[in-house]
Amino acid sequence: MEKIKTSSAAKRSGENDKPGSLPYIWRRLKKNPGAMLGLIFVTVLFLLSFVSPFICRYDYQEIVMKSRFTLPCMEHLLGCDEVGRDILSRILYGAKYTLSIGVLSVVVSCILGVILGAVAGYFGGKIDTLIMRFLDVFQAFPNILLAIAISAVLGAGFDKVIYAIGISGIPGFARMMRANILTVRNSEFIEAATSINCSTFRIIVHHVIPNAISPLIVQVAMGIASAALSASGLSFLGFGVQAPTPEWGAMLASARGYMRDYPHMVIIPGLFIMMTVLSFNLVGDAIRDALDPKLRD
Amino acid sequence: MEHKKTEGQDLISVKNLYVEYKSGGETIHAVNGVSFDLEAGKTIGLVGETGAGKTSIARAILRILPDHATKRVGGEIFFKGKELLGLPEQEMRPLRGKSISMIFQDPMTALNPVKTVVEQIAEGIRLHQNMNRKDSLRAAIKMLETVGISQDRAYEYPHQFSGGMKQRVVIAIALACNPELLIADEPTTALDVTIQAQVLDLMKKLQEELGTAMILITHDLGVVAGVCDTVAVVYAGELVEYGTKEDLFDHPRHPYTKGLFGALPDLSKDVNRLSPVEGLPPDPSSLPVGCAFASRCGYATDKCQKGHVEMKRFGDTHYVRCNCCEEG
Amino acid sequence: MALLEIEHLKKYFSTPRGMVHAVDDVSFTIDQGETMGLVGESGCGKSTLGRTIIHLLESTGGTIGFEGKDVTHLKKDGLKKLREDMQIIFQDPYSSLNPRLTIRDTIMEPLKLSGRFSGTAMDGEADRLMDLVGIEKRFRMSYPHELDGGRRQRVGIARAIALNPKFVVCDEPVSALDVSIQAQILNLLMDLQDEYGLTYLFVTHDLSVVRHISTNICVMYLGQMVETCPTQELFDHPMHPYTKALLSAIPTVDIHNRNQRILLKGEINSPINPKPGCRFALRCPYATEKCHEPVELHQISPGHYCSCCRINEIKDEVRK
Repeated sequence: MEKIKTSSAAKRSGENDKPGSLPYIWRRLKKNPGAMLGLIFVTVLFLLSFVSPFICRYDYQEIVMKSRFTLPCMEHLLGCDEVGRDILSRILYGAKYTLSIGVLSVVVSCILGVILGAVAGYFGGKIDTLIMRFLDVFQAFPNILLAIAISAVLGAGFDKVIYAIGISGIPGFARMMRANILTVRNSEFIEAATSINCSTFRIIVHHVIPNAISPLIVQVAMGIASAALSASGLSFLGFGVQAPTPEWGAMLASARGYMRDYPHMVIIPGLFIMMTVLSFNLVGDAIRDALDPKLRD
Repeated sequence: MEHKKTEGQDLISVKNLYVEYKSGGETIHAVNGVSFDLEAGKTIGLVGETGAGKTSIARAILRILPDHATKRVGGEIFFKGKELLGLPEQEMRPLRGKSISMIFQDPMTALNPVKTVVEQIAEGIRLHQNMNRKDSLRAAIKMLETVGISQDRAYEYPHQFSGGMKQRVVIAIALACNPELLIADEPTTALDVTIQAQVLDLMKKLQEELGTAMILITHDLGVVAGVCDTVAVVYAGELVEYGTKEDLFDHPRHPYTKGLFGALPDLSKDVNRLSPVEGLPPDPSSLPVGCAFASRCGYATDKCQKGHVEMKRFGDTHYVRCNCCEEG
Repeated sequence: MALLEIEHLKKYFSTPRGMVHAVDDVSFTIDQGETMGLVGESGCGKSTLGRTIIHLLESTGGTIGFEGKDVTHLKKDGLKKLREDMQIIFQDPYSSLNPRLTIRDTIMEPLKLSGRFSGTAMDGEADRLMDLVGIEKRFRMSYPHELDGGRRQRVGIARAIALNPKFVVCDEPVSALDVSIQAQILNLLMDLQDEYGLTYLFVTHDLSVVRHISTNICVMYLGQMVETCPTQELFDHPMHPYTKALLSAIPTVDIHNRNQRILLKGEINSPINPKPGCRFALRCPYATEKCHEPVELHQISPGHYCSCCRINEIKDEVRK
C-alpha cells in the first residue's frame, strides 16, 4: 500500500510546484475549458486591437456618409455607425482602451489596497481602525458613483479614468488583504515560527504574505472584469474616454439615439463588453477553483 | 456470506453494500461488500479509523450520499422487509426523519442558527405527524425535557447553548418522531469526557424507553464497550470482524482488531510501550486484490496478498475475515 | 532537580464580554527528564498555560523559573536563547505547518535561524533529524498537504527538537490522530525523551494517554488547578470530586468490570469574570457555602495537592 501512496505523492511533487504558486494555478487552469476560452478571447482581442489598423479594410475614424447605418453585411461585417464608420474596425481598435483601463486600474487599486490592508491587518489597533473607517466612508458610495465623482474632479481622459476606477476599487482589495492577513496571522505555523525565533519581518515576508496572497489573484481577475465594465459605464456617461475615440462605452453612448432603428449599433459593442467581462469572470472563477484545496485533483 | 438468523426478524439488514465515489478520474472504493443485521431495540457499533467508510455506510442507508460525487451504490438494504436502495425518492422521504433518523458528529453545524431550538424540533414533528403548530410545539417542549433541557430555555437560539446542550437538542430532534432506527455518527466525539458521559447515558436511557435500534459509528472502542450489543470493525470499506460485544472484546481474532486494542493506552494496566499498528490504511482508490490489511499485518502470507478473503464463522455469532484465524 | 518552576502563574485575556481568567494561579514544578501531564476539558486553559510558559503569550502575573533563574520577563537576546531551550509541538498537524514550505525547508528553518550551522553541516543535521523522527527520504521534498496526519506530526516534532531544547510543551500532539497512528507518535515521543533527556509538559484531555506518558499529573478546571500529584497516585487515590468524576467518565474497553460513572450535573460554565471560590462548585455534588470562598491548595500527602476546601470532610465519601 505504501507503494501507492508514494507514487501518487511522487507524481504530484514531480511536477514540482507548490499549491497556490503561479505554475500550479496555470497547470490547473489549463484543465478548465471555460477559463481557457475566456483567456483566449481576451488575448486575441488585445493583440488584434494593436494590429487592427494594419489588417482592417477601413480606418476606424474614416467618415463615409454614404454607408451610414449599414447593417452587418459582407462589406462591413459588423455594419457601420451613424456617420458611416466601420464598426468592426472601431470595436477592435477600441478593445485596447477597455482592456488596458481594466488592467491598469486594477493595478492601481491592488497596490494601494494591498499595502493599506496589510498594514491594517498586521498592526491592528488604532492604525487598523483609522484605515478601515476611512475605507468604510469610501464604500458608503456605490463604486460607479465614486468613480463618477472622482473623474468629475479629475476631468475626463484615459489616465483620469484609470485613477478614478482604481481609487474606487481600493476598499475591496484592502479588506480582502486584511482578512487574509488576519487568518494567516492566527495560524499555528505562525506561532511555531515565533517559537523558533523568527523575526517579525521574516514572519511577514516568509510566512504571512505567501499564504495571504493567492486569494488575491482571484480578486484581480474579477476586478479587471468589473473595472472594464466601469470604464465602459463612465465613457457611456461621458466621463471617461471621449468620443470620437472608439471606446466601447462611448460607442454605446453615441449609438443609443438610434437604438430603435439600428439596434446593431448598440448590440455589438454591448456584446463585446459582455463577452470581455464574462471572460475575466470565467478566468477568476477557475483560479478560485484552482486555489480551493478541496477541489484538488 | 450467510447469516444465520431468519428473515423478517431483523429491523434492518444490510447485504453486500457497495459505495463508490468518483474523484478526479479515480474511483474511490469507500464501502466494499458490507453486510450486517440489526434487531429492533438493539445497538450495533461500527468501529474504524478515519476514511474506513463508516459514514458512507450510514449515508447509504439514509440515501443521502452526495449525488455529484457518488459513482455507484450496490447491494441491498432491507428495512422492515422493504428494500431501500431501489425505493423511489417519494417513498424514501417519509422514512427519513420519521422511521430512520440520524445524529451528526458536529452539533455546532447541525442546528439552524436563526431558529429557536423548540421550533427546530417542532418542525420535524409537524412534517411527519400531521400536527398543528401549537401541538407540535407542546410535543417539542416535552421532548426537550426528556433530554434534560428545562422548558424556560426552549425559546433560545443554538448559540446560547453549550456544546453538550446542542448535542442534546440534536438528539431531541432525532428522536422527536420516535424513529425505529437511529444512526449516530460519532455523536460524542466533539464533546468533553464528562459531557460525553452525560450524553451517552442519556442516549442509552432514551433508547431503552423508546425501544429504538441504533447504529453507532465511532472510532472509540471505549464508547462501543459502554453502549453496543454487537460490534462490526470496519477496515478499508470491509467488515473485518463482526460479532457480539463479548465475542469481540473478550476474544478479538482479527489482527487489526487486536492491533486497535494494543494501540490503546489502557487505564488499568501499565505498559511501557504501546504496540501501534505500523503503516497506514490503503488508498481507497487502489485497493489491493487480497486482504486490505495484509501490508500492515504481522501474520500475512502469500495467500493473503493474492486472493480475496472470505468471512469465516467462529461460534454462533462471531465472524472474522482472516486466513490466519483457525476455527475453534 | 527542578527544571521548571512556575508559581502563581496567571494569564487573563480582555474580551468585549469581560476578563477571561484563562489561567488563574497555577503553580507546579517539573523535574529534569520527567513528564508533567496537564489534563482538563476544553476551555480550561491548559493550552494557554503551555503557551504562557514558553513565552508565546505574555503572563499576567506570577513567575516562571527555568534552570533556577527567573525567566518571566526576559526580552530580546535572553528570550531568544530561552526559546531555543523551550519548544512546542502543536495539536493540529494541518495548521501548524506552513503549506508553502517543503518538509525539508520547515525543518531547516530553526537550524538556519539559530546560526549554529554552516551550509553543509545544516544539510546533514536536517537529514539526521528526519531520520530520527522517521520521515522517509521520499517525503522530504514534499509539501505538507501530501503527507498524512501522522507524518506531519513527525515533521512538527522534528522542528521542535531541532535545536536540542531542554523543555518541550506537547499541546495535544495526538488528539487529531487515529488510534493506531497515535500510538506510533506516543512511542516516538517517549523514545526521544529517553535519548535526549527531554522534559515534557504534556497537555491533553485524554486521561488514558496521559497515564501512559506522564510521571506527574496536574488537573485543571476552568483556569484553576484542582489537583496535582504523581500519576500512579492520581489514578489510585483521586481526591478532588472533579478528578474523580473525570476518571469515572473515561470510556474503558473492559466490558466486564464497568466502573460506576459519576454523572455530573450541568455544563462547563465560562471563565469570564468568575466569582471567587471553587469554579467546580456549580457542578459539584459536595458543594456548600464554604466553596465560594477563595481556594487554596491543601497538601494531602507528600507531592499530592488538592484545591478542594472540604477535602477533609468528604475524603471518605470520595474514596468509595
